[in-house]
Amino acid sequence: MRFSIPRFWREIDSRYRLKATKCEKCSRVNYPPSKICRFCGSDKTIEIYLDKEKAKLITWTVIYNPPYGFENKKPLIIGIVETLETKTKLLVSITDLLPEELKEGLELEPVLRRVNEDGEHGLIHYGIKYRPVLK
Amino acid sequence: MGLRIENKVGIIGWGAYIPRWRIRLIDIAKLWGFSLDTPRDLGVDEKAVAGVDEDSVTMGWEAARNAFLRANIDPSEIGAVWFGTESKPYAVKPSATIIAEALGVKPEKMASDLEFACRAASEALRISIGVIASGLIKYTLVIGSDTAQANPGDILEFTASSAAAAFVIGPASESAAFFEASYTYVTDTPDFWRRDTSPYPLHGEAFTGEPSYFKHIFNAVKNLMEETGLKPSDFKYAVFHQPNGKFPIAIGRRLGFTIEQIKPGLLTPVIGNSYNASALIGLANILDQAKPGDRILVAPFGSGAGSDAYSIIVTDKILEKQDKAPKVIDYLNRKQYIDYATYSKFRGLINRIRE
Repeated sequence: MRFSIPRFWREIDSRYRLKATKCEKCSRVNYPPSKICRFCGSDKTIEIYLDKEKAKLITWTVIYNPPYGFENKKPLIIGIVETLETKTKLLVSITDLLPEELKEGLELEPVLRRVNEDGEHGLIHYGIKYRPVLK
Repeated sequence: MGLRIENKVGIIGWGAYIPRWRIRLIDIAKLWGFSLDTPRDLGVDEKAVAGVDEDSVTMGWEAARNAFLRANIDPSEIGAVWFGTESKPYAVKPSATIIAEALGVKPEKMASDLEFACRAASEALRISIGVIASGLIKYTLVIGSDTAQANPGDILEFTASSAAAAFVIGPASESAAFFEASYTYVTDTPDFWRRDTSPYPLHGEAFTGEPSYFKHIFNAVKNLMEETGLKPSDFKYAVFHQPNGKFPIAIGRRLGFTIEQIKPGLLTPVIGNSYNASALIGLANILDQAKPGDRILVAPFGSGAGSDAYSIIVTDKILEKQDKAPKVIDYLNRKQYIDYATYSKFRGLINRIRE
């Protein structure tokens, strides 16, 4: 086993439900969450969850040599998406599509998936990925 | 028929999930040297295959999310999460807690994984009736989800598929459909099993049909109808466990139901046997299109063996819920065929050494 168990456990809310923080001063959303706003430095932030927001695909890369834990996910598609309501940019895995189906502006929705796993015997890390909207 | 305990409890929300990927059964027949008539003999054309990043937890999560969209309650109001599966991602570590946490269900709840081959989730429905009718809990979340395993080249491989169904169960007064009656029939029957370290289940050939599937469903449904005085013609729909495309029609006919009553809940011909989701995703498909006043017979079955029979009556509230989440038909329409090699990779059938 190579992954840190405490780190995974600490991040569960952000991995499973896209917990973020919204700045009450500048209105911007910090993901991963941060008690101090990364944009304006204010400490007036509130917790929000982004896991119900659809998003659009801005850009992506296809990884043919993913790191440990992702071996069976090749090719791994990583994208930057912008959520439709809070306009938050997220770096996430894109799933349920073939690389040739990727296109800018593709409408996506969040789903819980197996992101990676710590070998055959360690923990499975679940988290939110994005897939093309169902309909 | 007087008032029964079941009448206090109903389905508040329902949801389904089917993965995008499908394999044609003819490809399996060709690869393993079966007669090309095998798919027709089984009454199944293709089956749903979970992707490489999917398992019973992720599929159950999506079905449950759809059930919450229809239930229109906050997940924090759920008092119990019961997950029925025979393909747990962890042998030890509850799946129910992962789904609960990922949906925002509060920690002050009951949660566990149930196992009874394909009818574990159905047992969770009966348990829900008990805890809700007694007033112990207001709402439960019941999930049936499986990435069904089968020994490559075994006849089971033609049908063992992946899908999930979920239900928010609660007070009948808020329900889209309430339970009219329920009945369970179980015995110790050696029809199908998987030992604790075996990757694939085995089956006791001659035990598959008459002594298990037919006997248990027949007794559960027959007893339900005798207790309630209901006749097959009183039901608009009948949905049975669906190990293949033929058994549910055969048991339905034996019990006096018509093909018109069975067809709307029969999904195995196009998705395969999704084990714990098999009958319940059929029920979800019926609820997607049912009208107030419709009476539905549901009879899941699990090897080992046992069956539950439920009579469910649809209420006026169903109409406002049907369009609030993706329907079974939406998932059926989203499909991409894959070949046997891709299916093998997705389902981990290729034995690789990983450092």
